[in-house]
Amino acid sequence: MATGTGRGEALSIWFFVGALTLVYGIVLLPYGAWEWFGHHEAHTVLNNLHPTFWWGLLLTVFGGFYTIRFRPRAGGSNKV
Amino acid sequence: MTALAALAFLTGQLTQLAPVDILILVLYFAIVLFIGFYVKGSTNTSEEFFLAGREMTAWIAGLSFVSANLGSLELMGWAGAAYQYGMLATHWYWIGAIPAMLFLGIVMMPFYYISKTHSVPGYLQLRFGEGARGLSAVSFGLMTILMSGVNMYAMALVMKVVLGWNISFSIWVGAITVAIYVMLGGLKSAIINEVLQFVLIWAGAALIPILGLVEAGGWNNLKANIAHNIGSNDYTHLWTTLGHFRDNPMGVHWTGIVFGLGFVVSFGYWTTDFLVVQRVLSANNLRAAKMAPVIGAAFKMAVPLIVIVPGLIALGLNNHGVPLFHLVGENQVSAANPYSYNEVLPLMLIRYCGPGLLGLGITALVAGFMSGMAGNVSAFSTVWTYDLYGAFINKKASDKHYVAMGRWSTVVGMLISIATAYLVANAASIMDYVQALFSFFIAPLFGTVVLGMLWKRATKAGGFWGLLAGTASSIGMWVYTSFGTEIHKALALSRVALSSDARPMAENLYRALWSWLICVAVTVVVSYMTKPTPEAQLAGLVYGATPIPDDGATSIWQKPIFWAVIVIIVFFALNIIFF
Repeated sequence: MATGTGRGEALSIWFFVGALTLVYGIVLLPYGAWEWFGHHEAHTVLNNLHPTFWWGLLLTVFGGFYTIRFRPRAGGSNKV
Repeated sequence: MTALAALAFLTGQLTQLAPVDILILVLYFAIVLFIGFYVKGSTNTSEEFFLAGREMTAWIAGLSFVSANLGSLELMGWAGAAYQYGMLATHWYWIGAIPAMLFLGIVMMPFYYISKTHSVPGYLQLRFGEGARGLSAVSFGLMTILMSGVNMYAMALVMKVVLGWNISFSIWVGAITVAIYVMLGGLKSAIINEVLQFVLIWAGAALIPILGLVEAGGWNNLKANIAHNIGSNDYTHLWTTLGHFRDNPMGVHWTGIVFGLGFVVSFGYWTTDFLVVQRVLSANNLRAAKMAPVIGAAFKMAVPLIVIVPGLIALGLNNHGVPLFHLVGENQVSAANPYSYNEVLPLMLIRYCGPGLLGLGITALVAGFMSGMAGNVSAFSTVWTYDLYGAFINKKASDKHYVAMGRWSTVVGMLISIATAYLVANAASIMDYVQALFSFFIAPLFGTVVLGMLWKRATKAGGFWGLLAGTASSIGMWVYTSFGTEIHKALALSRVALSSDARPMAENLYRALWSWLICVAVTVVVSYMTKPTPEAQLAGLVYGATPIPDDGATSIWQKPIFWAVIVIIVFFALNIIFF
């Protein structure tokens, strides 16, 4: 049974958490890289720390872990 | 700041979204709607629709429990309060939440859970009869639906101020999305979205304190900057300034914080407000139901990092010794001071977050508002269907009929919320009244529920009259302190809060304390004047008449009490560190 989404459903609630953060990471990481390496930084305070790139990387790793850990598996259990 | 002020002055908005921000926002709406359709297939019975099938693990119920309270209204309001009052605002997250959440998990949850009640008014019916249930259900139903409307308007207002969006556009897009996913998936859909929202809020807001502290040069430098800007050390202490009403910017006394906030307001909200208790009732066993509030409390202790710290950072920023921000009250906004306290969080977001991160932050705010609406509407549909429609209008309908009623009451509730949002849009003072209304019922309800659970001698008549007297006295004190000449209001406030130096914030705390005491006193007196309830009828409802079943914990790591002790130790440590 998938945790939290109902009896008989395949997708765990944690899979949704992972998928959303992974998608956001995948959007932010290349955008942050383009800003950093293409010298297109936004005019924000501390933009020299490239927060979009690093935050995108963090979300990608976090989301990737949860997406893989709680991916739907045929006949398997996602229960935590 | 100057460029921002110019943009706000010229266009009426703080910033605009880039295509990447819009992509992030659209992805959020897509996943929210997908979840609604996805779980619809498993919300066919009333238990599935109203209580999420009672199949949630402790982690999900716990995150949902804390997230249901973490709406954007609270986030922005308390970030503004941190700018206005300094660290004192943290009390609403620590002493104003943690002890009550642990008390709910360890002491009260067994009674809610083993009584198999579906709602807090439902527990009152089992313990005190139909009168107490009716009174509580009507007041709760009315308040939730009004609060949903307030949330809706607040979201629309924020989107207008920050992004220049049309108010009606924001109201209808938010309302339709929430109505769809709650109507389809009931509490299950709401809970999933609350867990997502919890993660999103951290993903969208955690960068602000991180970058803010980097800019300030660390916590000690931030404290020094605040002391320089304000000319006082009072804004960075939790307790040292609470010896007298006039010694702190909030105008409160430690007795108000400890007894009014820490005991009555906090215990009232966290243990009897069905909006949050409903999340814990969805737990899949007694141990999970006890653990959920403990897990929620642990996460709640961390929330000041993303709410209070941004307010303090704004307070400490300066440019060559001159404070960078000068935020004012909503009614003092002008061309010279274009921003109010409530805008401190969006201002800090814009300061540190460029395209992409800005979209994430805005999405977190939108998610918070929508989750606030969904929480209110799902709780409303449960109380309406079980405690009003099913109890007083149509007692013998089929389970399928009640589920249909739940779905339709979601839509009707949302339409009433939209009407409320437009009402508030045309008369902003209504927002204050709605929020005040909510406070009328919480403190007395806690008195009634806690006596019902812990005191066998409390009778049905005692419970009903106690609740009525407590609520009436709370309304009476609010009217007494809110209307009339300024001299009268100041005099009334000094009488309710017991000091001529008290400020409005103290009024809420002492009003809650007095109304709780009145509720308890009336319940006790009326109970002794009426016939006791036979003990056999109290089984499963009252401490001392109920054998508490084993929660199944086999090791110390599985025991909720062990983790509750850890949380309370951290709670005391934090209060000492920031004393």
